[in-house]
Amino acid sequence: MRFTLIKDLKEDMAMKPLLNGLLLFILLYFIADFFVVNASLGLLHEDIKMTLFGNADEFVDPMDKSVFLEYIHGQIFFIMMILLTLSTVYVRLCSIKRYSIIVINTLMLSALLTLISLFLSYFYTPNLLNLYVVSFFIWHILAFIMALHSLWNLNFATSI
Amino acid sequence: MQQAYRYAVLYFLAFSLLLLVSSLLLFDDKIGLSVHGVLEYYLGNEDKFLVEKSWGTILKIILPHIFAFGLFFMVVLHFLLFTKHRTTQLFIKLTYAIFIMGFLELFSPYFIIMGLEFFAYVKLVSFISLELLLLYTLWLLLSSIYQH
Repeated sequence: MRFTLIKDLKEDMAMKPLLNGLLLFILLYFIADFFVVNASLGLLHEDIKMTLFGNADEFVDPMDKSVFLEYIHGQIFFIMMILLTLSTVYVRLCSIKRYSIIVINTLMLSALLTLISLFLSYFYTPNLLNLYVVSFFIWHILAFIMALHSLWNLNFATSI
Repeated sequence: MQQAYRYAVLYFLAFSLLLLVSSLLLFDDKIGLSVHGVLEYYLGNEDKFLVEKSWGTILKIILPHIFAFGLFFMVVLHFLLFTKHRTTQLFIKLTYAIFIMGFLELFSPYFIIMGLEFFAYVKLVSFISLELLLLYTLWLLLSSIYQH
């Protein structure tokens, strides 16, 4: 997290390409994540419902409890690490105080809601799947915009 | 610490709590929170058609965890450097305890399949200790954020 201490990142010839690389990889992760989630769990309500609970008419088995727990455990780890990194970079590069706090709160709350609503949907009520879908899209789109905004400021802003 | 960073850390603590809860549920579901469960999981049980875990199978499970544990412990503990606990003995003790418990939790299954059944206790105690130590660290961080 050394980049949080450097005064002018645009003038720092070592840190600028490092952050560019990091932000590009974060963008790639979000794009890849859409495809992986679509293939493994589904992106829309009906697809997710069928993956989690199965469908007797179409001979689709429900997702096993341990498989679900493994999935959500891995998701929590990846989301927490990537969002901590992204939000730290974003605060450093796009430092309009009030605005960045609102963005970070929305991002983190929607990501938390994604995980909690999926967990509750599987164990208690499938009605929360709509909440899962909405919060999933909110945090992915917001994180994507944050990464793009950070990239823009790193390369084109007059002073950061 | 800038207010926006403080929010980022606060949410990180919330995610960490979810991670600990999910790991507890996963451990309970796959292995079970008893010595008998640990032994059965690693040594197998013919009546329940459970096969004994091999070296390779255990390695496949622990490989991603070796990296994830190291990264997670480092990130959580390094936040303590921004608090009043930075220069205390507590920080040093917590760091050693967490990394040692993490090591025992990961590698004790190898001793179990080598026939040292005592390590089922080590596996269980190290897992529970690790959860408690991390919870305590999260609590220290949370209280430090609110003190500011």
